[in-house]
Amino acid sequence: MGLNYYQIKKNVRKARKLVIRATSLAGSGHPGGSFSMAEIMGCLFFKYLRYDPKNPNWEDRDKLILSKGHASPGLFSNMAVAGYFEPTELDTLRAFGSRLQGHPDLKCPGVEFCGGSLGIGLSFSVGSALAARLDKKPTRIFTVLGDGETDEGQVWEAAMTGTKYKVDNLTAFLDRNFIQQDSYTEKVMPLDEVLTGDDISEMWRDASRWKVGDKWRAFGWNVIEIDGHRIEQIDSAIKKATQTKGVPTIVVSRTIKGKGVEHMEDNPKWHGQAPKKEFVPIIDLEIDSQSMIAPSIIAGDMSNLANEVKRCVNGRADYIHLDVMDGMFVPNKTFDHTKIKELRPITVIPFDAHLMINEPVKHVRDYVDAGSDIITVHAEVCDASSFGEIHDILKASQVGVGLAINPDTELPQWSYQFIPKLDQIIVMSVVPGKSGQKYIESSHEKTQNLAKILSENNFDGYIEADGGVTLDNIAACFADGARAFVGGSAIIGQADVRQIIREFRHKVAYARRKTLIQKAHELGGKELVAKWIELHTIGEKRNQLNVIAKELGYT
Amino acid sequence: MSVQMTDMRTIYGKTLIDIGQENPSVVVLGADTSDSLKTADFGKKFPERFFNVGIAEANLVSVAAGLAISGKTPFASTYAIFLPGRCVDQIRNAIAYPSPGDKKGLNVKLVVSHGGISVGADGGSHQQIEDIAIMRAIPHMSVLIPADTVAVGKLTWIISQKYGPFYMRMARSATPLVHSESQEFEIGKGITLREGADCTIAACGITVKMALDAADSLKQEGISCRVIDSFCIKPIDATLLEKSARETGCVVTCEEHNILAGFGSAVSEIISETYPVPIKRIGVADRFGESARDNEIPLLLEKHGITSINISKAVKDVIGKKRR
Repeated sequence: MGLNYYQIKKNVRKARKLVIRATSLAGSGHPGGSFSMAEIMGCLFFKYLRYDPKNPNWEDRDKLILSKGHASPGLFSNMAVAGYFEPTELDTLRAFGSRLQGHPDLKCPGVEFCGGSLGIGLSFSVGSALAARLDKKPTRIFTVLGDGETDEGQVWEAAMTGTKYKVDNLTAFLDRNFIQQDSYTEKVMPLDEVLTGDDISEMWRDASRWKVGDKWRAFGWNVIEIDGHRIEQIDSAIKKATQTKGVPTIVVSRTIKGKGVEHMEDNPKWHGQAPKKEFVPIIDLEIDSQSMIAPSIIAGDMSNLANEVKRCVNGRADYIHLDVMDGMFVPNKTFDHTKIKELRPITVIPFDAHLMINEPVKHVRDYVDAGSDIITVHAEVCDASSFGEIHDILKASQVGVGLAINPDTELPQWSYQFIPKLDQIIVMSVVPGKSGQKYIESSHEKTQNLAKILSENNFDGYIEADGGVTLDNIAACFADGARAFVGGSAIIGQADVRQIIREFRHKVAYARRKTLIQKAHELGGKELVAKWIELHTIGEKRNQLNVIAKELGYT
Repeated sequence: MSVQMTDMRTIYGKTLIDIGQENPSVVVLGADTSDSLKTADFGKKFPERFFNVGIAEANLVSVAAGLAISGKTPFASTYAIFLPGRCVDQIRNAIAYPSPGDKKGLNVKLVVSHGGISVGADGGSHQQIEDIAIMRAIPHMSVLIPADTVAVGKLTWIISQKYGPFYMRMARSATPLVHSESQEFEIGKGITLREGADCTIAACGITVKMALDAADSLKQEGISCRVIDSFCIKPIDATLLEKSARETGCVVTCEEHNILAGFGSAVSEIISETYPVPIKRIGVADRFGESARDNEIPLLLEKHGITSINISKAVKDVIGKKRR
């Protein structure tokens, strides 16, 4: 389908909400494993897989084999978003007479494999890949395996067969979420190493202890190891896999079971349990409240931007904000597309090019060609016609579309028609032109008002707060409705970028938890607040939720 | 009287090549027994359409399923003990269950040799006496047990052209010819080899010859037996069985399989629901087999009561139980 980074993210959100809706209505199902593979599915469905939802049996289509069939809600939800059937059909999940069976089934057109009994899908995929080769078809086979599933010996029989027959039209994903039905994988049947004691979370953090990729290497596969929740890493892995000839590829994807819903994350209890209906609106809000941190590198050492990019990568930023200034739209000059092109090979992290330039329509193609993932232009220097042109260029190039407004600018009337198509809106909270300025306090109110207007106009992108965002005000920015946060000197000006980003995330998490508790209170008073908190059994989350509830007077 | 003995696997291997020449969608899979199953020759003739997946039967079956869903007609072959015995899950869930569109199951042909106890020397561990029970219990699956090489050759052709999952069991040892070259075969239809009025003997596989021998010897005693080659155990020829029960008043079944849930059970299910008459089942009496060298296989069969003499006894027994 060829969607951009932001659109994929939005579709992943939609799909996650459908999983919650469907499993809660069904009263059973597997949200945990559906969420650990959510970004993998999103990237496949909305960028790489070739298919036609109106003609599911199209001969030259690619095939997605969900070997870990219990995660069927994660498959069906993406199929609904992709247009195979109406999202409302998810309401029939697991019901008598439904095409949406408890496990993926050919009864539903578009499903390629009857999953359920684990360990079979990779062999089936090898067979499908061999058939495609015999028929000289361009078909690519993508297979998603659970990590617990690879306890099955047959998986390794298939692995050997894939190597023997050089099925390079097959790419597998290992959804390495470290949890299977009974408990943690390393306790039930270690894939990396036998665990002593309870240092599971330590192990997850320490990539040097992850060995499962070596097993696949030993079986002759091309192994790519990634963070399975980062769209850009999945994207890059698929690109590499499709270019690899002579061997099949497995993308060992480190994921989190239940990712996106705090009380489900890393919790074996949510392997095969559906959320209760009363929590659905809160969980939906939580899914829609995911946010991103983007350091702005011009706040760093302008003489060594390559190093600043690396600091952001090591600091686990979500993407990198690149402030392009032309000395005309703003008094300062920073760099242009040539610098972006130079930095691009360093990382696959998305580049968010914020063009503070005159006549952006004349230059936007250069920034696409330089490798930007999101390009934001200023409303002050566009009109309906030029922005329309920019929008079309960006969408056609699978680049995110952003519109920025200065502190003294309101969203212009001409831009309303584009609101549903926008991936990002930047609300400048400083006068653009240089870094290190203080947040303009009136921006809070402006953002809140804008958020209302946007939601009334079917906006489903991200509001980005840009300018003077710090640890002190990020929670307030979140409460305003911002979901992406640009940090200049507050992040890149700090010695330990990783640590400061972690602190930013903690602040955002706090703000999000507060929003969710308020939602719970709105829906069901103190009783629902207590039940919501009760769900959170893992880690420090519960303590913080109790503190928040107390502060709000909800206890 | 000399009986011509022919080897089922040899005919199977040759037939596959003939089919392969006509039908490019046919692919053949083996699991390190392709030399024994005589499918290796197909691989020499059509190397790109032959896949030896090693000693990995679950994988064999599931790779075949992947090929089938993509439009191929895979023949997956190894010994009986390693397919139904080892891979019932994959056979069920990867081949029989998936039903694209209006079709029932995937178009995989599981053709095995070394069925039953007549495997002999390899011993009880290698003597599959449960495959009929397993395979006929799986929806969408058809089950064939040819009696001789004529049947093997013709049935291999038929299943290559008829959509659906098939299980076909061959014997290890050379088998006597019971059919003429002109014999026609149809899935779901039994073949009446002898007409008779006093009793019906329904048999499959190597026991068909025993049934014929029993019928011949009973004829000397004035007992007229109808002999049916029930090579197609599923879908079973219920019409013919009911008719025979009605016309002969009793039935004996013979199989080289556990009498529990096997061919005799399948026949009993039909007879008891359509036209109940006395039935006697000849087969392995819920025991395991054991080793026997080639020249001792008759002894092994005799130990389990699978002989023409025993069939004759059973015929007299059921005739005696007929309602007068």
